[in-house]
Amino acid sequence: MSPSADPDPRQFGRPLAFALAAAVMMVPANVLPVLRTRVMGEARTDTIFSGIVALWDDGLWGIAAIVFVASILIPVLKLLGIAWLLREARVHARLRARRDTRLYAILDFIGRWSMLDVFLVAFLAGAVQFGALASVEPRAGIVAFAAVVVLTVLATDSFQPHWLWPDAHPPASPGRPATAPSRS
Amino acid sequence: MAPYQLPSPLSSARGQSLLGCPLCGFTHAAVPLAQGQRATCVRCGTLLCARGRLGPHAPAAFALAGLLLAWPALSLPFITVAKFGNFRPTWLHTGAEGLWNGGMPVLGTWVLTCGILAPLLLLGLLAALLAGDTRGAPDLHRQLLRLARSLAHWAMPEVHLLAVLVAMIKLGALVDVFIGAGFWCYAAMSLMLVLAWRSFGFEPSVSTTDGRRDPAP
Repeated sequence: MSPSADPDPRQFGRPLAFALAAAVMMVPANVLPVLRTRVMGEARTDTIFSGIVALWDDGLWGIAAIVFVASILIPVLKLLGIAWLLREARVHARLRARRDTRLYAILDFIGRWSMLDVFLVAFLAGAVQFGALASVEPRAGIVAFAAVVVLTVLATDSFQPHWLWPDAHPPASPGRPATAPSRS
Repeated sequence: MAPYQLPSPLSSARGQSLLGCPLCGFTHAAVPLAQGQRATCVRCGTLLCARGRLGPHAPAAFALAGLLLAWPALSLPFITVAKFGNFRPTWLHTGAEGLWNGGMPVLGTWVLTCGILAPLLLLGLLAALLAGDTRGAPDLHRQLLRLARSLAHWAMPEVHLLAVLVAMIKLGALVDVFIGAGFWCYAAMSLMLVLAWRSFGFEPSVSTTDGRRDPAP
């Protein structure tokens, strides 16, 4: 298929499937506990959200904000963004194609930052092992959350942004010159 | 051939080199870039190619420095945590090990991949692409570029670093935390990877057939 041809709607199936799977996995990711902490015999389990609230209550507002953005806001924005892009590709919203392409680039960039919570839990689980004094154990929610991250990255990756540009230009055989080189 | 030099090894039938935008697929004629210049897609505005200010050998230097830093990052203590006089040194792989021991081997392997293996492989690939001249074999060169772009999706040392910093602040109330030399080496390695990747002169895919983009960096 040339980049100028209209995309086959069946091609949308893969990013749609990944996005739907990610949306489904968001439920256990946010409902199940991701971490169990035990300090001096006192145990508590945390979901992603309760962990953020605990950070906030401890006065670590900046850290709470970082974890909130990486673990809740970015996955939700990515799913909404992919849904929007799929819609735009279907309706051939040519006038918004440039803006939508930029949106795609942003979604592609921010997706990786959701892995923060997975790395965080992994590090805590590996580092805090003091037997009865203090220990941290990973819980099933973190597996579901990692699945959300992987599925949203795969959804973005399987979306082809040239779908947003139906027959805007034929593939240039001699090639148009790129914009005049500019100083970065 | 210098790593940044355009035109790309693939040429059109009329002998003119083409650059395909990795996002919108629009095809452009290649133009040579001077140091510090960059070319953007006329249709969607995406950065097509940039030539860094530090000279053609800078990306190779960054990639090799990153590879050199990998060894101390892996072998020196990363973070040491202490509680009531009990000291527990951790290494870069301790997080993956913690998940593995916590009954989550697949997730542990995934963390190991994104935090350590993919960044190392990417550094190695960049060094191979830059130091070894693969342009004599365009197919191999293109395959290595595609592999590097795919790996870049999953190489997340900067996210790993931020997570460890967040964990250290979170742990501050629970245990004493001491930063080890391995942490600084890993941070420097991550920086080298980012610099090598950003200054690497990617030639976007030449879209003459199906218009599919290579995975974006």
